[in-house]
Amino acid sequence: MIPTYPPRSRVLVTRTVAVGTSIATAYGGFLLFLQFGTADGLDSFDILRSALICASTFWLAWGALTALAGLTTRPPAVPRQTEPITARTAILIPVYNEDPVTTFARIGAMEASLLATGFVHLFHFAILSDTRDDTIAARERMWFLRLIIETDGEGRIFYRRRDKNKGRKAGNIEDFIKRAGAAYDYAIILDADSLMEGETMVEMVRRMEAVPSLGLLQTLPTIIHARSRFGRTMQFACSFYSPIFARGLAMMQGNTGPFWGHNAIVRLQAFAESCGLPELSGKPPFGGHIMSHDYVEAALLARAGWTVRIDDDLGGSYEEAPENIIDHLKRDRRWCQGNLQHTRLLLAPKLKPWSRFIFLQGILAYIAPVFWLVFLTASIAAPLFAPPIDYFPIESWPFPVLPVSQVSKALGLAIGVVGLLFLPKILIVLDAALRGRVHGFGGTWQAVKSTLSELLFSSITAPIFMMFQTRSVIQVLRGTDGGWPAQTRGDSTLSFSEAWAASHWVMTTGMVVLVTTQWVAPALVLWLLPVALPMMLAPILIAWSSRPGSNRLFLTPTEINPAPVMVLQNAVITRWQMMAATQPEPLVDTRPTTPKSEPRLP
Amino acid sequence: MIDLSQQEQFDLDRLAEDLGTLPEAPLVMPVQTLESPITQSFLALFRSRLAPLTKTEQYKP
Repeated sequence: MIPTYPPRSRVLVTRTVAVGTSIATAYGGFLLFLQFGTADGLDSFDILRSALICASTFWLAWGALTALAGLTTRPPAVPRQTEPITARTAILIPVYNEDPVTTFARIGAMEASLLATGFVHLFHFAILSDTRDDTIAARERMWFLRLIIETDGEGRIFYRRRDKNKGRKAGNIEDFIKRAGAAYDYAIILDADSLMEGETMVEMVRRMEAVPSLGLLQTLPTIIHARSRFGRTMQFACSFYSPIFARGLAMMQGNTGPFWGHNAIVRLQAFAESCGLPELSGKPPFGGHIMSHDYVEAALLARAGWTVRIDDDLGGSYEEAPENIIDHLKRDRRWCQGNLQHTRLLLAPKLKPWSRFIFLQGILAYIAPVFWLVFLTASIAAPLFAPPIDYFPIESWPFPVLPVSQVSKALGLAIGVVGLLFLPKILIVLDAALRGRVHGFGGTWQAVKSTLSELLFSSITAPIFMMFQTRSVIQVLRGTDGGWPAQTRGDSTLSFSEAWAASHWVMTTGMVVLVTTQWVAPALVLWLLPVALPMMLAPILIAWSSRPGSNRLFLTPTEINPAPVMVLQNAVITRWQMMAATQPEPLVDTRPTTPKSEPRLP
Repeated sequence: MIDLSQQEQFDLDRLAEDLGTLPEAPLVMPVQTLESPITQSFLALFRSRLAPLTKTEQYKP
């Protein structure tokens, strides 16, 4: 008997506590700031700033409570099965101007990993190319043939390139389903940089077979192969914090779980029936193709009555991530546009309330930095518009009445905000130390050092992200379409001039903010330094963080003990890269009998 | 194995296309309704423009 998801009553209790506490915290923040702001008399700036604090505190509290839910509760464990599987599964790898050597080497490694399970014959790989660059497409065909030769993959590994990338990634998947979907029961959707253990894929199929109402099962991908300071920080955060946040999310979602677009398995019949995405009326960024399609597909599956679940206990699911802040922000710009486009779908008919809430949460993720920025701007401007202090408020009272200082309230609020940001991560360290999870991160002291360093790094870079995210929101609201830039993978060290070109406007803004504050409200300068200083150092921080990071800090379990599929990947990629270096292109035999005589991977 | 310099003898693209062809097994994927009438009419308010006059209409007395 396999439990499907947390009991409905527990889900309701967790949701109610999380939403209720977040609202109460936000209200507390609102009242506290209102008292501070109105110490010298109430004006419109005080109301605006209090409202912004209210919304921002809600968002922070929501994040903290998700972590607390993950620390204090957990969904019922799904017992591991050993029965053989019979279903046919397509593994979909959409590619878009990626390097074929590294991408197809991952496929080779996954194929070899599946071979070890004994079920490789039930899994087919489909490389779905949307590559626009003809030179890269030619290399894709060459390395596809190399892959076929080395894996005996004829009839199991497919490659097709679309003439037009209509609907982008969602359209790419849809095209596959419309052409070949009926040949399979399930599809494992991956990204070009995804990597998955064969045993994990088999286990995912088992779980789909065990619960006929399960439409989509999402795994929690772990970031691997990070080299830069920024990349390694993200890798550590993903490995150390994300499982806890994901568990908290799993406790609140019930059967309306998330889909993150990759490293997940879908029931093809359910997906085809429910997830045909329309093109929204009007032009991008709000109209046109749905960019953040994954959230919408999860909501549509749930609307059709299918269960969407995240199983945080499924290991062996990996991905790679941007290695520098600029590449991260490029991807973030796309996500921002996609999430803001969801404003069009908030009232979509018959969606589950939780799906609407998830849309709202995604929108708030990008609006929250704007709230902070407007709050800071309003705080700097407030003294200019504040009413003059009335020292004689009581008629016929001859002595002046000095206003009571409310700075302690502002200080209390600031401590509360910092607490909401830091407390979950500190609790996660404690939990990891108590449960022994720190061993995978180099022991307790290493985990503490990494966490403190991550806290410092994320605090320093937060104002830079705030500026870029605010710019993204403004661009989207002004109707600028960010398009679908290809993700940069591989070496992505940035020179100072590259970092300068991308972020000098952040530095200038930081300087303007500090000078203006000194002129308008000198008392605020100290408060603003943690924001303005990192902004002024943005080009240096961006360039510095893109350089290779030390292996002594931010250790993760996959660095200490690489997963078997990672070892396979390294073997294939090393050989292929040597091959690519010594010869401009791979050697290919066109005779149909030759593939059978080639050695298997790795 | 062949020498790279001789690759022009072979139609690699054709071979990749032949070996890579997906199974023919279509599955219907109907388009879903996502936008509510409320959202659409709200957006229509923003998009509404006065119908542009043709040149002849502009010069009508």
